[in-house]
Amino acid sequence: MNWTGKDMDTYLQQKEYIDTLVIPLVKVQTNMDNIKTSASSTEFIMHLASLIETQFKGRMMFAPPVVYTSKTDIVQMTHTTLQEFVDTTFTHVFFLTTDHAWNEIDMVGQVIWMPSIPLESMDASLRQSILEDQLRQLLPKFTEQWSKQ
Amino acid sequence: MSSKVSRRQFLSYTLMGVGGFMVSATVMPMVRFAVDPVLQTKGEGEFIPTSQKVAELTETPVRVDFTIKDRKDAWYKSDVSDTAWVYKEGDQVIALSPVCKHLGCTVNWEGDEHKNEFFCPCHAGRYEKNGKNIPGTPPLGPLDEYMVEEVDGYLHIGKTVPNTLV
Repeated sequence: MNWTGKDMDTYLQQKEYIDTLVIPLVKVQTNMDNIKTSASSTEFIMHLASLIETQFKGRMMFAPPVVYTSKTDIVQMTHTTLQEFVDTTFTHVFFLTTDHAWNEIDMVGQVIWMPSIPLESMDASLRQSILEDQLRQLLPKFTEQWSKQ
Repeated sequence: MSSKVSRRQFLSYTLMGVGGFMVSATVMPMVRFAVDPVLQTKGEGEFIPTSQKVAELTETPVRVDFTIKDRKDAWYKSDVSDTAWVYKEGDQVIALSPVCKHLGCTVNWEGDEHKNEFFCPCHAGRYEKNGKNIPGTPPLGPLDEYMVEEVDGYLHIGKTVPNTLV
């Protein structure tokens, strides 16, 4: 499900089935050295999110990406914003990111870190197969959490 | 002398010619606009070519990807990739939509070790090979079917229709 009015109506009626919230964490860097990498990894994570969404539409709700910058105190952010997501009625909360800084701190919820792959120079079919490969690697992480409850 | 065109005649012919041209310049677009809806080609019912050869299909469902070019969503144009599960039943080619009838996840053939069935990973929904939902699992209806067509040995996929096999 996407964060749209129509999908949210479905969610409100089917709460017992849609028990997973996924939030993409996106680092927006605007200094000239990192601006390209930042754009490219944002593109990757959003494409990946949309692929996961089509596969698991009936169980996952995708929130709009949560954006932060280089100056953001991510430890602080974890305890405020991200904690608030974890405290919702969703049983499983996943954060999807390409920034490995999240791996190095104590996190709430489940962090799914993926190395960013530059997709901009690929044609559509290659891009699709690469994203599907990434999704196959992610699958066990989701199913493992789902089977825990 | 009678074959000669007089000045008066020449002027009236010229005026009629120019006048007629100007009238047609205004009337023609109006006529074209009026008949335009009739001449429009219909977007639906179109078949999309895939790279799957019909001769290579077997009784085991295979995944066939295809891309709908230039789908228009308001002003936003995009290519949409879609998938079908395709198999042969005798001589008939059957293409099923992978969209689960429960909440819209993507189903897989023999996923999670359910032999000879389609499986939905979200809430363990199951379907028989012809798309019939297995009672006791969450889905409430059978998988949709795609219209299919064979063109030069290749499979072409059309729009979805409710399942006709169940």
